Amino acid sequence: MAKKMIQPAAAAENYVPTKEDFVFLSQRDIRTDANFASQSYWRGVFTHFFKNRRAVVGLVIILLIVIFAIFGPVMNSFGYRDIVQYRNEKNKRVVAKGISPQIPALHQLLTGEALEGNFAEYTFLFGTDDLGRDLWTRTWYGARVSLLIAFVTIIIDMIIGMSYGLISGYFGGMVDNVMQRFVEIANSVPRLVIVSVLAIFMPKGMGLVIVALLLTEWIGMSKIARAEMLKIKEQEYVLASRTLGARNKHIIFKEILPNTIGPIITQVMFSIPTAIFTEAFLSFVGVGIVLPQCSVGTLIEDGFNNITTLPYQILPPIIVLALLMLGFNFIGDGLREALAPKLEDM
Amino acid sequence: MKKLVSVILAAMLLLTCAFSAVAEEKYLGVMLSTNVMSLDTNLATDGESFEVIADCIDGLMQMNADGSAVPAIAESYDVSEDGTVYTFHLRDAKWSNGADVTAYDFAFAWKRIAKEAGEYAYLLDTSVGCIKNADSIIYEGADPETLGVEAVDAKTFVVTLEVPVSFFPSLMYFPTFYPINEAFYNSLEEGTYGTSPETFLSNGAFVLEDYTPGTATLSVKKNESYWDADRVQLAGIKYQVVGSSDNALTAFRTNALDVVTISGNQVAAAKKDAALSQNMKVTGAGYMWYLSFSQTEKNAQNGKLANANLRLAITNAIDRDNLVENYVMDGSLATYTAVPPQFAASSTTGEDFSADQDAFLDYVGYDPEKAAEYFEKAKAELGVDSFEFTMIYGNNEGDEVAKVAQAIKEDVEDALPGLIINLQPMTKAERLDKMQNDNYDVALTRWGPDYADPMTYLGMWITDNSNNYGFWSNAEYDQLIKDCTTGAYIADYDARWAALFQAETLVMQEAVIAPLYTKANANLIVSGVEGIEFHPVALNRVYKNATIK
Amino acid sequence: MVKYTLKRLGMAALTLLIITFLLFLLVRIMPGNPFPSERMNAAQIANKRAEMGLDDPILVQFIRYMGNVLQGDFGKGTSLYNGAPIKTVLSTAISNSFRIGGTAILLGSLVGLLLGITAALNKGKFLDAFCTVFSILGVCVPSYVFLIFLQYTFAFRIPFFPYFFDPGRFEFSSVIPAISLSLFTMSTIARFTRNEMVEVFDSDYVHLAESKGMYGRKLVMTHVLRNALIPIVTVMAPLVVDLLTGALVVEKIYGINGIGKLMVDAIAGEGIDYNYVLALGILYSALYIGIMLIVDLLYGVLDPRIRVSAKGEEA
Repeated sequence: MAKKMIQPAAAAENYVPTKEDFVFLSQRDIRTDANFASQSYWRGVFTHFFKNRRAVVGLVIILLIVIFAIFGPVMNSFGYRDIVQYRNEKNKRVVAKGISPQIPALHQLLTGEALEGNFAEYTFLFGTDDLGRDLWTRTWYGARVSLLIAFVTIIIDMIIGMSYGLISGYFGGMVDNVMQRFVEIANSVPRLVIVSVLAIFMPKGMGLVIVALLLTEWIGMSKIARAEMLKIKEQEYVLASRTLGARNKHIIFKEILPNTIGPIITQVMFSIPTAIFTEAFLSFVGVGIVLPQCSVGTLIEDGFNNITTLPYQILPPIIVLALLMLGFNFIGDGLREALAPKLEDM
Repeated sequence: MKKLVSVILAAMLLLTCAFSAVAEEKYLGVMLSTNVMSLDTNLATDGESFEVIADCIDGLMQMNADGSAVPAIAESYDVSEDGTVYTFHLRDAKWSNGADVTAYDFAFAWKRIAKEAGEYAYLLDTSVGCIKNADSIIYEGADPETLGVEAVDAKTFVVTLEVPVSFFPSLMYFPTFYPINEAFYNSLEEGTYGTSPETFLSNGAFVLEDYTPGTATLSVKKNESYWDADRVQLAGIKYQVVGSSDNALTAFRTNALDVVTISGNQVAAAKKDAALSQNMKVTGAGYMWYLSFSQTEKNAQNGKLANANLRLAITNAIDRDNLVENYVMDGSLATYTAVPPQFAASSTTGEDFSADQDAFLDYVGYDPEKAAEYFEKAKAELGVDSFEFTMIYGNNEGDEVAKVAQAIKEDVEDALPGLIINLQPMTKAERLDKMQNDNYDVALTRWGPDYADPMTYLGMWITDNSNNYGFWSNAEYDQLIKDCTTGAYIADYDARWAALFQAETLVMQEAVIAPLYTKANANLIVSGVEGIEFHPVALNRVYKNATIK
Repeated sequence: MVKYTLKRLGMAALTLLIITFLLFLLVRIMPGNPFPSERMNAAQIANKRAEMGLDDPILVQFIRYMGNVLQGDFGKGTSLYNGAPIKTVLSTAISNSFRIGGTAILLGSLVGLLLGITAALNKGKFLDAFCTVFSILGVCVPSYVFLIFLQYTFAFRIPFFPYFFDPGRFEFSSVIPAISLSLFTMSTIARFTRNEMVEVFDSDYVHLAESKGMYGRKLVMTHVLRNALIPIVTVMAPLVVDLLTGALVVEKIYGINGIGKLMVDAIAGEGIDYNYVLALGILYSALYIGIMLIVDLLYGVLDPRIRVSAKGEEA
């Protein structure tokens, strides 16, 4: 990129520049606006974020889900794989399956009558599934798996997807060409095929799910990052920065990245549910987590299979997922505003 | 904007009018659980395909309401004294293109089955039908013309067997033995037979009206030129594939379908509804679910499951009543015999082969204490006290399979501390692949009877049979089965029956498999429809006598 | 532009060839049998394999296959609808999936854009909050749950639409699946549009336009939306491919024979049907590559400063 410098005409003809005449940009004494920069950038982001009421609500929602995921399964006496059952006087097994949500004390309070049924003394906040397992425990147990998937997705998107897209878009030409053809190939082999082949070489389970996500989950993000890069790299400030001799790495990650953060955050948020359902699909085909373990995604699928007969079963996992998404979206909105503050917001 | 709204409204109105105006004669709406894969008798392998083929084509014999074989295209038949030559006398019947149904059509179709050596070609070989020279054609590629069938003239079809087969006439209603019109078949482009109404001929109760491979709907309409057309009351049948069983109940309640099969949870819901429980009819589906144990050295921690006591411990730890009552819930029967009940009755006494489910109570049943005893013995014999096996099962083989697998895991781990069963779901394709390559510990698998004789099950466990997934081998057993198919007992029906029971005892004593339950179908049939015949073998539903009021 | 497009098309052919070869190898490694059978013995299965040429060296098989494909012959299934040529089975599936998916895309993107624009114009107000909740539910609730809900309400409770897909009444019976399929796209587009437009509204040139007295629909259409469209088009592209190639569960429940169901049947049915997996894989890749090309060309149209092509080959 180095362009030939045209010597100013006014320069002394005999003057030979010495090393001392030059100084690295980074070593120069930079004058800054003392008012504006009295706090560091990240500190600004921090305060800005916490001033945003919605962002804080989002954070609280996510924290609550994390807390319930950790402590929810141990809050009652049922294990995630325990079938609630007993033997009656005829030595027949009675299983607590398909019980809709019940709280005996509340029922007593509201109707004045004791709850009836074989398991009337138990509290099932979310009901039981068609095997006779407590859905409260299973929902929060499943939230653990899905939270992990959510965080893994965020990391994959932010690290692989973003860098890939930004680099591909920035260099353009042959680099972009090769990188985009690779995306096309990676995206075109059906996931079920690639995962079945992988399962021959590595053990099935969460590890394989994460590898499967690693293979394709970043593609959407890379496309967004590339599109933003294509749009922004032609703008004047990039040209200015380049003319001033900034390195590619600096331009991509310091100059352009902050300006693409909006669509990137939206994309991260929207790739989370897709990833959670991908995990459920992989578990269903037998390469993910195995029964009796569960995740929010597999619970939604189970609930869906019984939607006309046990309709309450699908609600808890869907609500947890929706809350998770709501929380992440609020945080995302807050982050976006905090990371790229506009003048009027200050 | 206003204009747009009015245009949309007008369009919707038009659409409604156009589509509600269609009035047609009432077809019976029937649910299929999977797509019809092929209407070619050589390629069809699934119950759905067989059902539709049998709607449209008659074989030599047909299935009576009670499952016995009665004449169809064959008006009558004679058997030679030694029981090896069957002469079928054909009646006058027409193909839907007007051609006569002849003995040549049968000879052509059977030779084609033997030559192509497909899935069901084995029904011709010495393990079942024992048709002369079938083995050498199917397995050694001999000339199909040598097959022991002969069309003496257009109306006389002679079949020569290697040895007498007591149930041979009842094989004749199986679609593999149906005729194909040779001239019509040869006039088609290769590979297109049975892929559309134009490329398919019927001689049966219905003709194919609408079918494209892959579609979720298929319809057949009454065949006016059927030889027994007076008997057929239905104007036609409209099949609809219902991929999600949860949807079947609502589809029935909407009147979108007249006959549906519902699964466990819907059965429970339907039973609570007085009107719906009136419509429910539980019928045997035939196939039995069982656990297969791999006994080879390379599986199950160096062949631990080769120990009979360990297998007996597992089979005694499973509460089968709990499985069918709480998880399968559709009327399936808890099964304690290697040959499931209700499909094979003795032709001399009429008694069901497996009527007595308590026959092997010493070896199989739900008894955690006995299971623990066997487990102690196994631990002592093997010198280890902890085991970890993987149980494979199909995730696309019905709603209840995953539930059953989990319930088995809980039961076994409860009764036998130290034994862990890990569940591994996979597609049916992969499950079969793993079992056929002997790469599994325990498998939750199923087998449906192809013909009404206990041999359809017992034939599986002889040494080197490709369905002997456990690789169990017992010389006494092999000899017994051999005597029943081609040896000492073929002429003496009751002695053969007793020998088969003896063979079954050997299987149960060693818990070669752990039988679980015999599947039933819970059907909902709309009020006013009567006469649909349900069978656990070969053809699951027959509509020749069905009526709609 | 023309030169660039031609060059890209050439590369697309090469990419497609690579993808097909990869798939060709991978399906053969996958567990599962192309001739699933519990009743044939090993010798019979081996014969069937030999008949299909599966024992030849892989390159020979591949060249033979490509030769047939170039003549428009995708062969026939080994375990799936095994009598019928793949072309006939696939053509109805493609026609169903494309028409229903296409409707869903149109519906999803138009309503999504409208919703997003409305939300952005009403930032912080009730409509904005509604749009947020709608989008979140739209991506959290799988389309098949919507389908069941719509089917239950508008085909069972109020029996207006047919309960199952009926090829004879195509338009009428594709309303329910098209709406349920469109909701994910709708939510995604709405969310992206809203967020993008809020950002663009804040930019200097919009402030400038506003100060020059521009407002209302003209401002939104000429300045804001156009600049917000680039990420929207980008997220839409894969959604378009996914919708056109069908959705398994929706197809299964509503009884549509579409591409999604065919693909899963081919991979996870009774066996693995090599020819179906390949034919469907080629279809999917070709669509994906084609749509990515269109998107790259669209960038240049939406923002003439963007040049995807390398220097010297002006796009």
